[in-house]
Amino acid sequence: MKRTDYALSKLFFDLQSAPAAAAYRADRAAVLERYGLEPAVRAAVLADDIAAIAPLVNPYLLRYYCTASGMPEAEFLEKIRG
Amino acid sequence: MAKLVGVYAASHAPLLARDWHLFDEPLKAQVSAAYRELGARLNAAQADIVVEIAPDHWSNFFIDNLPNVCIGVGATHDGPPEPFLKDFGHPTLAGEPQFAMHLLETALAQGFEPSVSHRLALDHGFCIPLWRMELEPLPPIVPIVINSLEPPMPTIARCVAWGNLLAQAIASYPVDARIAVVASGGLSHSIGEATMGAIDETFDAGCIRAFEAGGEPAIVDFLDRALPLAGNGSHEVRNWVTAHAVAGSRGFELIAYMAIPEVYVGCGWAAWSPAEQPYGP
Repeated sequence: MKRTDYALSKLFFDLQSAPAAAAYRADRAAVLERYGLEPAVRAAVLADDIAAIAPLVNPYLLRYYCTASGMPEAEFLEKIRG
Repeated sequence: MAKLVGVYAASHAPLLARDWHLFDEPLKAQVSAAYRELGARLNAAQADIVVEIAPDHWSNFFIDNLPNVCIGVGATHDGPPEPFLKDFGHPTLAGEPQFAMHLLETALAQGFEPSVSHRLALDHGFCIPLWRMELEPLPPIVPIVINSLEPPMPTIARCVAWGNLLAQAIASYPVDARIAVVASGGLSHSIGEATMGAIDETFDAGCIRAFEAGGEPAIVDFLDRALPLAGNGSHEVRNWVTAHAVAGSRGFELIAYMAIPEVYVGCGWAAWSPAEQPYGP
């Protein structure tokens, strides 16, 4: 059974909003503070460690997150494909 | 009494909108021709109501409240929230509460318990086919969301049952209305996972063969075996299965199939000829 990380999923879900995504791009750490992520998950997000994040969230939310965070599509494809 | 006047299916790859300006002219022409053919048929059917079946791409629901099936019963639906669909031109879309409530009541009477929304946001899954089919003016839409994004999802057999139920609801609707059904999604694609971008043409060909052949057991058997091995986006074929059952499970006519790497999707367009309505009022 896949492990779903609720807090991480909520962050990614919320970042579909353009203002929220802009705030996140401006100050990731401040936004992450509000979501109470586990330390290892928070570190993975800050490091853009897609391999660590992917098992924790729905793949569509992950894809949306990478767009919202400003990651170029080619970089996301490279990371997700390992 | 209401009449089922047409059943259709079309893909809804979001990059068909977001990246449209990047595609070469032959690709644009092929894709446009497929959607226009469906749109022409739907216009010719003179539908008063379109029941559209699509997934929700995290536009309405989150994992704190995630229905497997939701019927939109509102008089108004919100247009797509995605910025790349700003040119769609419909910030809101008309619903059809009377038929939607009849469908809901029919479902409850038959032992189905869908979720209900009085105002859905219709994301690209609903709006790209409506847009690209060039349906102007848009008929009132009764949206049905079937979860194909987050497991566990409805079984394929349950989607067949939902299609049969929808056919029954149309046939028993005591209003002189012409009703069409549009299934949106599929065929194979993989989004946000390690196989992202892969198009499983073998899976798509298997789907097409099964839908063309008609009947229900072969489709259920094929998808029960093949769907878990296809990309995650392929689960949207549930909507095609539902449409297939609405049409009496007669074989469909494939309008076009194109594996389009530019949009990461094996895209399909199809139409069913509705069966004589087997259900009385």
